[in-house]
Amino acid sequence: MVNSVIAGLTSGGGYALLGLCVVLTYRLVAVVNFALTAVGALGAFVMVSLTDRGVNALLALLAGVVFAAALSALLGAALVRWFAGHKEGTKAAVTVAIFVALTAVGVRLFGGNSTGAHRFPNPFGAPLFTVGDVVVPQSVPVSLAFALLITVAVGLLLTRTRIGLKLQALSERPGTAEVVGIPAPRLAVGVWAGVGAVTTMVVVLVAPRLGGDFSTLSGLISTALAVAMVGAFRSLPLTLAGGLILGCLEGLSSSLDAIQKYQGVVPFLVILVLLWWRSRREVWDTEHGR
Amino acid sequence: MEAPALALEGVAVDRAEVPVVHDVALEAARGEVTVVLGANGAGKTTLMDGIAGLAQVKSGTVRLAGTAVEKLAPYKRARAGLGYVEQARTTFRTLTVEQNLLVSQRGDGDLATVYRLFPELDKRRGLQAGHLSGGEQQMVVLGRALVSAPKVVLIDEMSLGLAPLVVRRLMTTVGELAGMGIAVVLIEQFANLALDVGTSAHVLRKGRIVFSGPCAELRGDERRLHRLYFGGAPSAGGPRSDGAEPGGATPPAAESEAR
Repeated sequence: MVNSVIAGLTSGGGYALLGLCVVLTYRLVAVVNFALTAVGALGAFVMVSLTDRGVNALLALLAGVVFAAALSALLGAALVRWFAGHKEGTKAAVTVAIFVALTAVGVRLFGGNSTGAHRFPNPFGAPLFTVGDVVVPQSVPVSLAFALLITVAVGLLLTRTRIGLKLQALSERPGTAEVVGIPAPRLAVGVWAGVGAVTTMVVVLVAPRLGGDFSTLSGLISTALAVAMVGAFRSLPLTLAGGLILGCLEGLSSSLDAIQKYQGVVPFLVILVLLWWRSRREVWDTEHGR
Repeated sequence: MEAPALALEGVAVDRAEVPVVHDVALEAARGEVTVVLGANGAGKTTLMDGIAGLAQVKSGTVRLAGTAVEKLAPYKRARAGLGYVEQARTTFRTLTVEQNLLVSQRGDGDLATVYRLFPELDKRRGLQAGHLSGGEQQMVVLGRALVSAPKVVLIDEMSLGLAPLVVRRLMTTVGELAGMGIAVVLIEQFANLALDVGTSAHVLRKGRIVFSGPCAELRGDERRLHRLYFGGAPSAGGPRSDGAEPGGATPPAAESEAR
């Protein structure tokens, strides 16, 4: 059981980063991006298609990351161009439509659950060390370090650089940010591109553990949204913690035969529990506010 | 001849597809304060939003130092030299005072000038703008416009919700901005305060300019201001219900007082 929980930390680091990408897209450009993991999965499959053809793994990863960044930037530019003045719900609905379209294209190109499992490179699959019966694979520290690095880097970018301050200003008052000369459309497209690139790297990292088919990887959006909810779509450290907790829960559920087949339900349970908990507090506030 | 810092010709502005401002022409010269007055709902803020790019200019031209900018995105207008102090103290509340200034700093924009004009802000550089008093927040917004090295600064109702003492202090600063060679366009609820600091004035009624002339002509003349705002004679029982000027089927834009 402990082995499974430890192994779950590998995915946990990845989930934390996916949640972080959702939070950043929401905070900085006010869009709940349902298409996030579909774009990342397409980038990852561009990479694996190239490695299948004998291209060097690093070069293939670079190509996949660039592809996903460009595709994500294109989606961001379309939203900025045509939906800038619309409500958050409308923009979220647009990304749902894009998710459905990209998943259909991905499954068509790369195959579904039963036919499309690809062999992703797994350079960190070997054990790092063993304590008793517990094996800690290299992927655990790599995944955790990657999650921590990106979280800290994003935090520093937002607070210590001029461009980060502009992004904060943009997220707080988009109209005012524009009238003080902040190039909102360009920054927004930059955020979309960055998020697309990071998502591809995360999908590549977790793909060997999750099976490597397009539908599963594209469907990681439910996990990403659950993690973002733990951080209330705002807090980066809580989002990081939420990812790790979800990874451990998933690992735990995979080790228990009775609930193993319901493993995919874990993110939805987390979402439901969080929704219930937050709405409970709202009711309390409302009653006491009268 | 040097082009005016800001020139509007036949400008019409819509708000949510509803025409609000019609056929407005005005100029703002460098080093002067141009005052725009009008009752609530006259279209003053919509006009400012149109100039800044936050509302759509349906027709007419907006020239900044001779260059047409009405089709540019708001951030491009700002970079072309247009500063906008919006209504309601629009600081970036989670950023510190200094960070608020840094995000809009451009060209020759100098933080030291802002701290010289507003020593209160110098002491609170590291404090989040959301924790400042109303007057200090308005100083941040004015300072933010100043560090963008503007040719023109639009100021919309900066006195809203502020104590009279603070308003007088800020009005002095408006005069100092003009003294730096900036063209200031000032919308203000306290008409006489604005007319004291201004050079020329325009009065908007129902989205049209019904008066253009020197501030001195309106200064202290409450009855005339009232008539220009509402279109009726106050001594005859307040505004007329049809909103027309006395004697007149004449369209407001062509009224004898507009010059």
